[in-house]
Amino acid sequence: MTECQPAAKDVAGPAAASAGPKIIHRLAVGLTVVVFPLIWVGGLVTTYDAGMAVPDWPTTYGWNMFAYPLSTWLSGPFDLMVEHSHRLLGSMAGLVAIALLIVAYRYDGRPWFVGWCVLLLLAVIAQGILGGVRVLFDERVIAKVHGCVGPAFFAMAAVTATMASSWWRRGAWQQVATGAGGRKRTVAVISSVLLAIVFLQLVLGAQLRHLTGWETHRQFTALTHAHLGTAGLLAVGVVVVALLAWLLGVERSVRRPAMALVGLVLVQLALGGGTWIVNYALPWQELNKMLASYTIHAKGFVESLIITAHMATGSLILAVTAVTVARAWRCRWVALRGSP
Amino acid sequence: MKAAGTERLRAAWRSVVRSLLILATCILGQGCRQQEDAFPPNKVFAKRLELQQGVSVESAHKEVQLLLRALFGTPNQPRWPAAIAAADGQTPQSLVSLTRLERAAGAVRSNEEGVHWGLYREHCVACHGVAGNGLGPAAALLNPYPRDFQMGVFKWKRTPRGEKPTRDDLHRVLVRGVPGTAMPSFLHVDREDREALVDYTIYLAVRGEYERRLLQWAVTEVDWEGGEHLLPRQLLDAASGGEGAVAVESLDDELLRPLQQILQQWRRAEEDPLLLAVGDAPLPFSQDQEKALLSGAELFQGTVVGCAFCHGPDGKGAAQVNNFDDWTRDYTVMAGINPLDAEQLAPLLEAGALKPRPAMPRNLTWGIYRGGDELVDLMARITHGIDGTPMPSAPLQPQNPQGLNVEQLGDLVRFVRSLAGRDQGAGKGDWEPERGSMP
Repeated sequence: MTECQPAAKDVAGPAAASAGPKIIHRLAVGLTVVVFPLIWVGGLVTTYDAGMAVPDWPTTYGWNMFAYPLSTWLSGPFDLMVEHSHRLLGSMAGLVAIALLIVAYRYDGRPWFVGWCVLLLLAVIAQGILGGVRVLFDERVIAKVHGCVGPAFFAMAAVTATMASSWWRRGAWQQVATGAGGRKRTVAVISSVLLAIVFLQLVLGAQLRHLTGWETHRQFTALTHAHLGTAGLLAVGVVVVALLAWLLGVERSVRRPAMALVGLVLVQLALGGGTWIVNYALPWQELNKMLASYTIHAKGFVESLIITAHMATGSLILAVTAVTVARAWRCRWVALRGSP
Repeated sequence: MKAAGTERLRAAWRSVVRSLLILATCILGQGCRQQEDAFPPNKVFAKRLELQQGVSVESAHKEVQLLLRALFGTPNQPRWPAAIAAADGQTPQSLVSLTRLERAAGAVRSNEEGVHWGLYREHCVACHGVAGNGLGPAAALLNPYPRDFQMGVFKWKRTPRGEKPTRDDLHRVLVRGVPGTAMPSFLHVDREDREALVDYTIYLAVRGEYERRLLQWAVTEVDWEGGEHLLPRQLLDAASGGEGAVAVESLDDELLRPLQQILQQWRRAEEDPLLLAVGDAPLPFSQDQEKALLSGAELFQGTVVGCAFCHGPDGKGAAQVNNFDDWTRDYTVMAGINPLDAEQLAPLLEAGALKPRPAMPRNLTWGIYRGGDELVDLMARITHGIDGTPMPSAPLQPQNPQGLNVEQLGDLVRFVRSLAGRDQGAGKGDWEPERGSMP
């Protein structure tokens, strides 16, 4: 077996041995950690129809966003708290993305990574502007786009954390050197296709979630069936990727997220069923006494939690799939390269 | 057999292709489409009239929409024909408040902390549709289908069969929700917001019912081929501009009469206490519980009230399944169409109608009553029936000498509750209506 060693430019820049890479990695992880609650709160914004709870942007009822009174924010109306929190978390994500770019530019010797961080910053800015435009123009179509770009950005942040990790710099070389799976591109290709399916599923979900009322029932039915069909496809795809990763002896760092996806998709399927029940009730609800006696509560806590969790888990699945894809292709690239 | 199988396969394939096309249109086209600020016309009813009368209803349909827009405004800017109510000698705002209508109408928005606007689109439009026609985006996937307000018929109320609901009736449904269906409880929504939704529901119901009556009148009474119009020329010109409300005095009485009748019906439900007399009366249960249950069982199984015909002798609701509610009968049976004949139904489904589903009698053994489980609700169900459904009102004394007396009514209510193992008796106090006690 060929001994794989990392290329110098893959390992680090001038300050490879310093704390630079660690800070970059921590910032990238921090960004991912900030974006996940941002996704949750964004989901709550849609669940509570709070997108227009604050009619102005970037100000909040005329206040500078960061100077808005704490008392009104936290003890005021719930939808206002959700919307304003979403804005503040979004701003925090932007600040972390700026810090990440600065640190990457200063300490990371990989020009492509710095370029990626620029792209990441542009994405978070674009997403913020989309959110603002949605408010200023009160346009649900923009809300749909905003709702799709959010999870995509979360996935980008997770991939950034992967690319900034020591595994990417050194661990992948070591793993590939001791395994045989990295040479097979099957998992990388199939997981890439899976990533596209997951994103398609998110787009379909956003269509179902951001209704204007002018959609016909035929359109909604077609969308629902497509969402269900894609869920089935996705469930099969996840199992296939996990099985292949296991059977082909793919590196642990690829196998683990692939396995985790199976669990996440199971949770997501349950949440999906729950989301339909707490939104619209099942068409055959009368067959079961417990379901027949259940009354949906508009803006209810449990209902909102289930709906928002479904959306957030979808984003998490996208991010984990993206990490799987990134790792699988990294292993493949390292395996093909063989030696620095 | 083989040909039939092939035909089924072809139909399935056509269905798949059509779904894919709709999906593609939906995703690609929806984002770019600008929403028009106009209520969607009642295409299903227009199609029914077209099939019924064998004439084109296009011209009538167009002029009806112009008049409706002039009188009732648009989804973003509603109007309430208060002048008509005033001309009828009533307080213009007694039934609906324009301020509350404006709160419920339009896009979801806020203008100050905690104040919501666009409540109908926030809470209702996904199922009931922009025009309240029960054809919202999610409608086809719900069971039961969402209520179509446009017939002006409501199920869960305490007024007699054929009468409009009171504001309290509508508000009660909003607070309680309807178990086992997509209709949620809005208990967590501010009372002020719920009141605005009640106003908007009445507005859509009045507007929708007027649209139906006007269209029917226009199709049958106006000589379109002879060059007649529903609206006078000057009104046609003014209304087509969509600017300003139409001056009531310039409208023909014939045009306004249906609207005045509808408004009177709504006002009667609100103002005539006699309509609620049944709900107000205390129910004298038999003192002997065993005797009361036996009497109730006999009435349930017997022919006077005939509960068992539909609900089955055991109350499980499986006896009668070949009946349809009035919302379905309206575009099928009323137009001479068999609800189970796919070929006859095709043009109506194309116009947007939902696939007919039989009205299912309630399984009473579960004790889940969609119209409310208070004693007064059950009593109203039995004495008034359920509007729009095959559930009839029970014959009562003294109007019907063969009907139930008040004590028998009490026995029947008690027996119905006993089917679900619910309380085997109740005191008089349970019958006190809780007026004004809604949250």
